[in-house]
Amino acid sequence: MFGPLGYSLAPYIRSSRTLTNWITPIANWYANAMGYRKYGFKYDDLLIEENDQVQRALNRLTPREQYDRAFRLKRASQASVLHAPLAKEEWTPASEDVRYLAPHVKDILKEEQERKLWDNTVVERK
Amino acid sequence: MLAARASSARNVQRIARSFATVVETTGVKVAAVDYNQPTTSVTVLVKAGSRFEPKDGVANALKNFAFKSTKTRSALGTVRESELYGGVLTSTLGREHLALTAEFLRGDAPYFVDVLTSFLTSAKFTRHEFEEYVVPLLAAETEAAAHDPATRAIDVAHTLAFRSGLGSSLFPPLHSDITVGDIKSFASTAFTKGNIAVIGTGIDSSTLSSLVEKALANASAGSAASAPASKYFGGETRLEGHAGPQTAFIGFGTTGGSSAELAALAAHLSPAPSVKWSKGLSPLSSLPEGTSVQPVYLPYSDASLFGLLVQGSTSAGVTEAGKAAVSALKAAAQGIKEEELKAAVGKAKFAAASAADTRDGLVNALSSKIFSDSVTSLESTLSALDNVSASAFSKAASSLLNAKPTYVTVGDSKLPFADELGL
Repeated sequence: MFGPLGYSLAPYIRSSRTLTNWITPIANWYANAMGYRKYGFKYDDLLIEENDQVQRALNRLTPREQYDRAFRLKRASQASVLHAPLAKEEWTPASEDVRYLAPHVKDILKEEQERKLWDNTVVERK
Repeated sequence: MLAARASSARNVQRIARSFATVVETTGVKVAAVDYNQPTTSVTVLVKAGSRFEPKDGVANALKNFAFKSTKTRSALGTVRESELYGGVLTSTLGREHLALTAEFLRGDAPYFVDVLTSFLTSAKFTRHEFEEYVVPLLAAETEAAAHDPATRAIDVAHTLAFRSGLGSSLFPPLHSDITVGDIKSFASTAFTKGNIAVIGTGIDSSTLSSLVEKALANASAGSAASAPASKYFGGETRLEGHAGPQTAFIGFGTTGGSSAELAALAAHLSPAPSVKWSKGLSPLSSLPEGTSVQPVYLPYSDASLFGLLVQGSTSAGVTEAGKAAVSALKAAAQGIKEEELKAAVGKAKFAAASAADTRDGLVNALSSKIFSDSVTSLESTLSALDNVSASAFSKAASSLLNAKPTYVTVGDSKLPFADELGL
């Protein structure tokens, strides 16, 4: 599974200081090279949203976050129509490119996992 | 014969020690009663009733947040695991206390005490749980209360009688702006050791206190919440009713705790017959057809509300029944016959004693006393009723009538005004 919720080496890399120092510049270069920041997106805006889990996660955003997300999507659509990236001052700075949605999606996946566990639990008398 | 006598002697002993003593473990008050029932109940009582809420409806929202996710287990985990144990979890809100209750089979206490106390120590109060679970419950509760004229009348009567404090409604406003932050901050001020008491039935006192001690070891220390002393005001208001019977509530408030005289007065005025198919001998037993009068006596820690709830299918019937109720109250203030007083005291004593028979009644009786450390036995409640004299009885009734009445109607515009009933 690939994509923002797929398997990731990031936790392993972050756990080692040497690896972090090596990889961080490459990761920053790659994030900029992907080009989504030039269209004013955040990384979590690229999350595939056509499934129940992410739809529920979107409902858990604060009204402000929901509004900002809709705004970014519209602005990027307009930029796409014009076949040009946004003006440089509208690009997403690295500091604002935070995972605002992924934690909610992970919570929901964990809840579903727990529900499955309780649905199939076997009780043993001690 | 002998066996019967022996068992009745045992019952007397039981009554004598039927109210528990309060033990204090690490700042939390614990009381337990054990009659060898097959099931156990543990009630965690928090001084977080609507009286203490900083904003309308926050206490109710906190009540509906009970048993949602904590650091130890999620909301789903709490429900499923409790189901496996076969326990029942309830949370109830009063004007003084928030009560979290678990009822379960003997021996499952460690798990259920943990469920109750983990809400006090490590509730998460997440925003999505508030919006997905709590907000619909708040709306449903407000809606249900709005459709019950008796609940509405008594709720509004509290507001008229005590204004702030005890006057704040048990139900959240229909369109409220409560946020999770409000609930969280109310919980953090309310969930301190001095504010918490634990009542157990069907469980050994030392077992319960050791469990509580372990579970609440790292609860934040703090003294009990104090609210400004209640003051009685009174007043009159008229609400339009959506459904249900025409309702009028004639109330009187007093400051000071519960009194035996008022309990006897409520028993004297109660038209509930002692025998089936009879109308009873109460002064209110001959009411017009289709109407009812119910005495309401609600004692709180520093005030009480006494009232008569008059209901009927037509406003004319309510007017007539209301007039009868007021004149019965006035007659009681003039004086009472010795045998009538005896009957009233007997009725009140039976009500108090049979309430202590049930689990809810026992928890209620203990909860009113546990925070003030003055746990009285059932004996003292009964002997206080025995000591009610005819003069004290009529004096209590007349001092009620001297204050400004609290009068609420819910229903038609034709329902009587307070002065039309002779108040």
